[in-house]
Amino acid sequence: MEDRFELVYRLLDDQVVDVDGRRCGRVDDVELIGAPGGPLELGALLTGRGAYAPRVPRRLRRLARRLFGDDVRGATVHRIPWSQVEDVGVTVRLFGRAEDLGLARDDRELQRPFERMPGG
Amino acid sequence: MKAILQIALGIIAAIGGFVDIGDLVFNTQAGATFGYDLVWAVPIGVVGIGIYAEMCGRVAAVTKRPVFDVIRMRMGLSIGLVVLVASLFVNLLTVAAEIGGVAIVLQLFFDAPFTLFALLGALALVAIIWFTPFEGIERLFGYVGLTLFVFVAVALHEGPDWHEFGRGLVPDAKSSSLYWYFVIGLISAALMPYEVYFYSSGAVEEGWTPSDLLVNRLNAVIGYGIGGLLSLGLMVASAQLFEPAGIEPDHLGTVALLGQLSYGETGLVLGLLGMLFAIGGAAVDACFAGAYSVAQFAGWEWGKYRRPSGAPRFTLAWLVFFALGLTILMTGIDPVELTEYSVVLSVVALPLTYFPILLIARDRTYMGEHVNGPIARVLGWLYFVVILVVAAAAIPLLLATNGGGG
Repeated sequence: MEDRFELVYRLLDDQVVDVDGRRCGRVDDVELIGAPGGPLELGALLTGRGAYAPRVPRRLRRLARRLFGDDVRGATVHRIPWSQVEDVGVTVRLFGRAEDLGLARDDRELQRPFERMPGG
Repeated sequence: MKAILQIALGIIAAIGGFVDIGDLVFNTQAGATFGYDLVWAVPIGVVGIGIYAEMCGRVAAVTKRPVFDVIRMRMGLSIGLVVLVASLFVNLLTVAAEIGGVAIVLQLFFDAPFTLFALLGALALVAIIWFTPFEGIERLFGYVGLTLFVFVAVALHEGPDWHEFGRGLVPDAKSSSLYWYFVIGLISAALMPYEVYFYSSGAVEEGWTPSDLLVNRLNAVIGYGIGGLLSLGLMVASAQLFEPAGIEPDHLGTVALLGQLSYGETGLVLGLLGMLFAIGGAAVDACFAGAYSVAQFAGWEWGKYRRPSGAPRFTLAWLVFFALGLTILMTGIDPVELTEYSVVLSVVALPLTYFPILLIARDRTYMGEHVNGPIARVLGWLYFVVILVVAAAAIPLLLATNGGGG
């Protein structure tokens, strides 16, 4: 990919896909590292419903927090280090597997009951 | 040769899948109430869905992004959420209406209570989705839905008044608010957004690439074009048989009588069979459309190409959708009334999903050489205006006519 791109146009809200092609969230927010005046670095992508509330208009944040939950790292928001990102194209492709990056927890919990059913 | 056959089979399924409960209700009621006067509204809706679906299919084939992926990416989180909530709401009404339609048709085959058939119908649909691969679902409902052509046969058999038909191709500026309510209803019924969410997600499920763009275009032109003939057939048959007799097809079963009046029991059974599968297929499409929307918005794994446990949150989403639709039906609301509301409210939400697709389809960064050409550009914007006008007029007309009650 290009070494210069627009953060909001090209990265924010895009689909994250792991190395097996499994969809594992969207870029719901990004974490930048660096003090004002100095160089800024993209630290990580944040994904999960806990990242929704801070992004909606101020008046609706309380409602959004109630609906989607607070930002709890590792539970409602997952951090994907920028170093794990292989490519930003049609999707944001990761080097690793969703499982290993802690992005598959919600799916795994639901998976078991479905697996027990015939045809599941 | 095999490739051509494959293409043809897909298009045939698209034809059979064109009609749903909204088209059945609005087209027959329009014919019964206004005869041929509203013929012109049918092609407006059909061309609209063709343009919208062609753009969505093209975007999906080129960028691998289905509709709600595009909405989230292009409109961001906040507006995306508004679109999501509005779409889910109208989708849910549609799911409820379609399940209700299935139950009504089943009731005509076998004599038993409505609620029992709503439950059995929903369970049967869930079982079919659970065990059948994506293509199988599409084809099963699409092919059997083709028996709806019995209504086109009825329309031709009854010797349509071509002179009146021709006059119906021109709108009547002086007409009543009920007339305009039906115009809105006919256009909206053809342009139900769930069809497009389903279509574009289906394109991603089937792994479309730019080499599938010809199929996409043929689907839009031939599939929807011939599908539109079904709508016209319903309207004309109703204008021939119901309008002179003063019959109001307020009950879905009345629609099937069109087949019986011309062809006796065979006509009745063919009509009911077509209705059952067309409406059942639409229930599946609408339900999936809801699950696709949520999953794509949130970035969950989705798709029928995975086993149910392979995309668990998506699976849960469509199961919940069926359950909620069924719950709405159990309140005892009349499915035909529910259909009218779902169709009219759908068009109000339509600009929200049409606009982002139009933006992506004309964006060279994403579409490259497959960006909107001159025809798609002009028609795309023209229909955006049409949709805005229809969306703005929908609620006032719904209120002015007391929900089409006159």
